[in-house]
Amino acid sequence: MIEEIIIFGSIQSGLYALLALGFTLIYGIAGVVNLAHGSFYMLGAYVFYVFGGSLLAEYIMDFLSLYLGLDTAAASLWASLLILVLAVLFVAFIGSVVYRFTMHLVLGDEVALMVVTVCIALIFQQIILLIFGPTFPRVAWPEGTFLTESTLLLGVTLQYSRALAFAVSLALFLGLLLFITKTKIGKAMRAVSQDREVAMLMGVNTERLYMLTMAISAMLAAVASILITTTTTQSAGAWMWLHPLALSFSIVILGGLGSIKGSLIGGFIIGFAEQTVAITVPEGGGIIGVIPLAVMVLVLLIRPKGLFGKRIEMED
Amino acid sequence: MVLTYFRRAYSSFAAHVFDIPPRLMVLLFLMILAVLPVTGLSSYYLRILISANILAIFAASWDLLVGRTGQISLGHSLFFGIGGYTTALLFKYFGLPIWITIPIAMLVGALISLLIGFPCLRVKGPYLALVTMAFPLILYNLVRWSPLIPIFGGEFGIRDLPAFFPELVVREQRIAIYYLTLLLLFASSVIIYKIANSKTGIVFVSILDDEVASKACGINVTRYKLTSLVISGLFASLAGCLQVHVLGVSNPPMFLLTMSFIPVILTFLGGIGTIYGPIVGAYIYLVLDKYVLTDLLQNSLESFGVVLPSEFDYAKLLIFALIVLILVIKWPRGIARFTTDKLENLEEARDLDERGPRIWKRYKKKEKN
Repeated sequence: MIEEIIIFGSIQSGLYALLALGFTLIYGIAGVVNLAHGSFYMLGAYVFYVFGGSLLAEYIMDFLSLYLGLDTAAASLWASLLILVLAVLFVAFIGSVVYRFTMHLVLGDEVALMVVTVCIALIFQQIILLIFGPTFPRVAWPEGTFLTESTLLLGVTLQYSRALAFAVSLALFLGLLLFITKTKIGKAMRAVSQDREVAMLMGVNTERLYMLTMAISAMLAAVASILITTTTTQSAGAWMWLHPLALSFSIVILGGLGSIKGSLIGGFIIGFAEQTVAITVPEGGGIIGVIPLAVMVLVLLIRPKGLFGKRIEMED
Repeated sequence: MVLTYFRRAYSSFAAHVFDIPPRLMVLLFLMILAVLPVTGLSSYYLRILISANILAIFAASWDLLVGRTGQISLGHSLFFGIGGYTTALLFKYFGLPIWITIPIAMLVGALISLLIGFPCLRVKGPYLALVTMAFPLILYNLVRWSPLIPIFGGEFGIRDLPAFFPELVVREQRIAIYYLTLLLLFASSVIIYKIANSKTGIVFVSILDDEVASKACGINVTRYKLTSLVISGLFASLAGCLQVHVLGVSNPPMFLLTMSFIPVILTFLGGIGTIYGPIVGAYIYLVLDKYVLTDLLQNSLESFGVVLPSEFDYAKLLIFALIVLILVIKWPRGIARFTTDKLENLEEARDLDERGPRIWKRYKKKEKN
């Protein structure tokens, strides 16, 4: 039991941290509390599902097997990974476009931003309902690839897809941390988060920078979404955005809004708490959505600004 | 020449007659609402108007908290659901009559808002909105949790609740319910309006304007925020009780985010920071939703042989979310405020009137790089 909690808990925590990172990033840099973050999560799963079932997937498969000489299993594996990348880029594009035409217009007004983002979330929910209806498509890796197989680790059956999810989430997290601390664009992001006007005077194009941040944020949500929905049994649905939104904001509040390290630590706290309850408490599955929120409320009672409540600029 | 004369005559007329527009318009509005059932409105429309009355109470309570005090709550369905579930549970376990359970439920709603106020009001701005969003989500999950199904009834909720005026027949009962909700709406909106314009209400607005400055003036900010939250919770739970007894069921969707979002829609349709705005917004919303979109559009299209697919229901919320999006971005003052301004021709008074919704002023800085 303890091994299960450790292994599955850390996999889940990594994904949750990834999900929360996008939320905290756009708040820390642009000051947008993006309640549509869950919608990008939802869009990620749906776009992956649609792309995977479309002609595009077949073309990629054909290309891989004909020109590169891969066998069917390898071709479908690489095709689905490629489709993951395409879907994520597509969601990132949608994210930045949506940002430019809605949230950017009310920047600086916290209440209006929240109302606007809730509107966007509801619009996406209704669009998904209009297109797919209240059905629940199953998002999964293609059968027959090594991702659907599993291995034994510390006496726990571990699917390779989960291991992949953990690896991807850690790699993305570290990559983003490096991006923000080492590159020039990352420096510009920190500068804007410290003082927007002065950064603009120094020649930073804030509009483009915010759009890029939103694209990264939506991208992280989409990656987390695809990795979570393909590795667990939960299926996609038009209301699937609410739980990840609740998760990401409770993680982010726990860690401190706008803090990158905070989102990692908050993700681990909440991931392990959820996994512990799911494994140890009978009938715990139904109450799992409550755990992050309850932890958040408890932490806020003790520390009103979260564990690491500060903006991104303070981290170096 | 003649046109100019007419324009001047109209503006002097407007300046004198519409000088007291709130009272005049409220009176007119109330008279129209009061005579509506007598004109032989069908029961279907009466039901819509009943729910408009209920949602108006709900939205007015949201406006007091958000538009006047500036404490952003995106989880107002918490109080709505708590009101509904409390009266339902009191009926189910103690068999109390409606007239006792509703006041108790209102008190419970106020108590809960006091309880959650302590952790919530220690946090500010975005934290506050997110924390208030968390509570209805927690309760939504709890009332559906399988070990608690014997108490809360799970997904189906608590059903077969008593209706108001069970001794009357269908049509008369509905008219009686209509007048009851209208009366309660009138009473609660007058109370909320009076509070919003009393000394306490001025303190609320000062908190909205500048919390630090109000603190520096010696105002106990936390106490006033809590007062606003408790009053708001009291009336929101009243709306929840009414809803439950009109529909006869109290179910988990009362805690959903869409339910929290309804007062936001209504308030933005009407105009934030004016208590009457959301009330007007409630009628605009339901008339748009049930009459224009359903009866006029759908049924007239059907008479031409065009049957809209059943997915059209989904498109309605989409349309409203779009409307609110455009309103917030382009027209943050709302419809009711815009109309009163046009009627009064009070362009210059706008700055004075801007007292309440100061938060809606945009930082309009041209960005040119």
